[in-house]
Amino acid sequence: MNAHAVWGHPLLLAQVLRPRRDGRSEVALRVDALAEPRRALALEQAIRALPGIERVAILPAARRLRVVWDAHRLSLDALVERCAALHCPAQPLPHDDADDVRAAELHAALKHLLVAGMCMMQVMAYALVIYVGAVDFVDFTTRGLFRWLGFLTTIPLVAYSARPFFTGAVRELRERRLGIHLPVALAVAVVFLASAFNTLRGAGEIYFDSVSMFVFLLLVARYVELRARHHGNAQGDAAIDAAPLLAQRIAADGTLETVPALALRAGDRVHVAEGATVPADGVLEADSARLDEALLTGESRPVLRRRGERLVAGSVLLDGPAPLRVEHSGAATAVARIGALAARARAARSFATAGDRDIARFVARVLLLTALTALGWLLVDPARAFDAALAVLVVACPCAFALTAPAAFTRALTSLARRGVLVTDSAALGRLAQVDTALFDKTGTLGVPQLELAGIEPLRGDSREEVLALATALARESSHPLARALADAACRLEPARQAERVEAVAGAGLRGTVAGRALRLGRADFALGAWAAETFEAKSPLREERFSAVRRPMAVAMGQETAETWTAQGALQPGRLLPPRFPGHALAPERQRDALLLADTDGAIAAFRLAERPRHDAQATLDALRTDGIAPCIASGDTPERVAALAQTLGIADWRARQSPDDKLARLRELRTEGHVVLAVGDGSNDAPILAGADVSAALAGGTGLAQAQADLLLMDDRLEGLARARSIAGEVQRIVAQGRRWSLAYNLCAVPFAAFGFVPPWLAGIGMSLSSLAVVLNALRAGRDGNGPRQELRA
Amino acid sequence: MNILLVLIPVTALVVIVGVALFFWAVNHQQFDDLDTPAILPLLDEPAADATMAPAENPTSKP
Repeated sequence: MNAHAVWGHPLLLAQVLRPRRDGRSEVALRVDALAEPRRALALEQAIRALPGIERVAILPAARRLRVVWDAHRLSLDALVERCAALHCPAQPLPHDDADDVRAAELHAALKHLLVAGMCMMQVMAYALVIYVGAVDFVDFTTRGLFRWLGFLTTIPLVAYSARPFFTGAVRELRERRLGIHLPVALAVAVVFLASAFNTLRGAGEIYFDSVSMFVFLLLVARYVELRARHHGNAQGDAAIDAAPLLAQRIAADGTLETVPALALRAGDRVHVAEGATVPADGVLEADSARLDEALLTGESRPVLRRRGERLVAGSVLLDGPAPLRVEHSGAATAVARIGALAARARAARSFATAGDRDIARFVARVLLLTALTALGWLLVDPARAFDAALAVLVVACPCAFALTAPAAFTRALTSLARRGVLVTDSAALGRLAQVDTALFDKTGTLGVPQLELAGIEPLRGDSREEVLALATALARESSHPLARALADAACRLEPARQAERVEAVAGAGLRGTVAGRALRLGRADFALGAWAAETFEAKSPLREERFSAVRRPMAVAMGQETAETWTAQGALQPGRLLPPRFPGHALAPERQRDALLLADTDGAIAAFRLAERPRHDAQATLDALRTDGIAPCIASGDTPERVAALAQTLGIADWRARQSPDDKLARLRELRTEGHVVLAVGDGSNDAPILAGADVSAALAGGTGLAQAQADLLLMDDRLEGLARARSIAGEVQRIVAQGRRWSLAYNLCAVPFAAFGFVPPWLAGIGMSLSSLAVVLNALRAGRDGNGPRQELRA
Repeated sequence: MNILLVLIPVTALVVIVGVALFFWAVNHQQFDDLDTPAILPLLDEPAADATMAPAENPTSKP
């Protein structure tokens, strides 16, 4: 039986497999390795080679893989197994309708766009024939024929392609508000009906070319925006999917078995690791646990839950691990119900962005202007009122205006995504241009803890691999940066050991049992000190001395909620802390500075020296931000000495140490009340409040899901340099949108008076409109274009 | 100019065929992923397993 056999569970299959009409099945898999195109393609090819596979589609932004295959020839667990064998662990996702809705929306938009494009080209050709007067030499009835052809070809365009505007207009009327659809629908309908009327009566100007171009260009803008929005949603999904669908169920004999969270039944007991997401609603069975229920409450402050209290699925366990007795799972959880509610609310809401409102106002003004023109001419010369009003309407249509923002934003988002910056909220790009202060977290953001093999000091003659394997078994249960550094260093070791009853002590370390041995990993005072209370009680003559040395830093560390202080150096006073039985007392003081200690009841087993270095691109990023007028500052939960060291290395004068999440938030508020626009950059759950509270927030993709859920920008591959790039592109987009707006205004101011006085023939109106749109779009495409930016290259 | 009576229906037919083909392509998800196919030719080894050396560690960050 393989580890993925759980995916063969029929109930689970029903939730992740989507049966297709042709008898095949479809599944969406979350695969983190898709971030690397090379591996994504290798995986795709490997899957294609499997029997019964029909289609493999990769959605890199969502880290999703869609597979359509014959489930009779290949089971789902075999598929998941195959992915795991290729070192691309895959996790089937519950199929939801949102995907279908999105795909259908995109397909419909594309079809509308294409029909509009095809019809527009035909109408243009017919209009051109009339404009150049070729048919006038032949026969007047031929001219009539071409007018009729234009009319007939515009019918599908107005009836099919422009339908989104009409349905939108009806909805806006029903909701009694002015959106973009109503004025656009009105303009299209008026121009089309007027031209149709002129065709039928065989006299007057026709504007079929203008109306089809208007519809086409607006559909282009809509489509581009839709794609960008789906891209953003896909990234949102990537963050949401990260929530574990698998849970660790505690079997009757106490062992852990991995089961899908969907397959949990009421009454099951599950094990939740520190930093992990609670897989189901249930009752806490540990004495106490701190949880982040931001998903539910929007409040990022940790909540303390005691034994017997209810935990909600989707909240993040900040210190753990904790056992949980399941009450509701799957779609019955509170979060799933809220999610369904939110989805319904989102579907009901039309996507009225700031840009949309601008366009709506603009079009409303154009309609007003048209009405005024008509009124003016009715007073002077009623015969020309109709034509002049029509000309104003066509000339002033804000295609250029509508196209600028989506084109520039899409271009910028694509360019940023290529450089490893995913923008989850495109409005953030606008705010980023105004940022003047950047508030950084230290551990995990500016600096990375690193463990090198040479940094492992076995203190009792075990091999390095042996002690590393023991420590890793504990470290794997935690998402603390130091624990992750340890787990990362050890991932070459096979097979992994399983730790049991791992418990995290905030600010101190981890304790648990590996292969029957009670172990502790963390600060020296924690790893060694607390045993006294359990095993050396009254026996050790050193107890008093050791405890007096330990108590102060322990108290500081325990009070500090950030858990960034496991290795706080104050706790490691050489010689004083180490008992006589501790054979590592010869360790030089500087070696102990950043050491994590692994100990059992007999004393220390090994010391792990973790060095904190600035990220390789931290200096360059900070320099770039500084030249761009952004002042960097640090707010860290770590000790002043270590923060000062890193701040000095990076040349940051403004730093604060020993900051709890509340302190950080207070610091952020202080900066904002001083009038600064603040960019917050962090990676841990303790940064979530500042990420949520800042004007713009960026999270590293290696950070916790909670931090990512709050962030506007996600820095993939943990590279900071994307920030500087995002900033410069944001500025560029702002400039380009402003240029587009000015251009539209200038164009209208020049052209509308002529149109109002009846000097603009239809062909000139059409040329003016398309040239103006073209100029604006070409200008918008400059966003994010530069030759020397580092592109995300294919990695070998 | 009577040739127009032949040519115009022909163009209309071409447009209709084009639209039909495009609708088919859209319905078969041909436009869903526009990014990865571009990288496909750059992949030098066709075999999958060789590119995923077991030594490669999926969790480590470059």
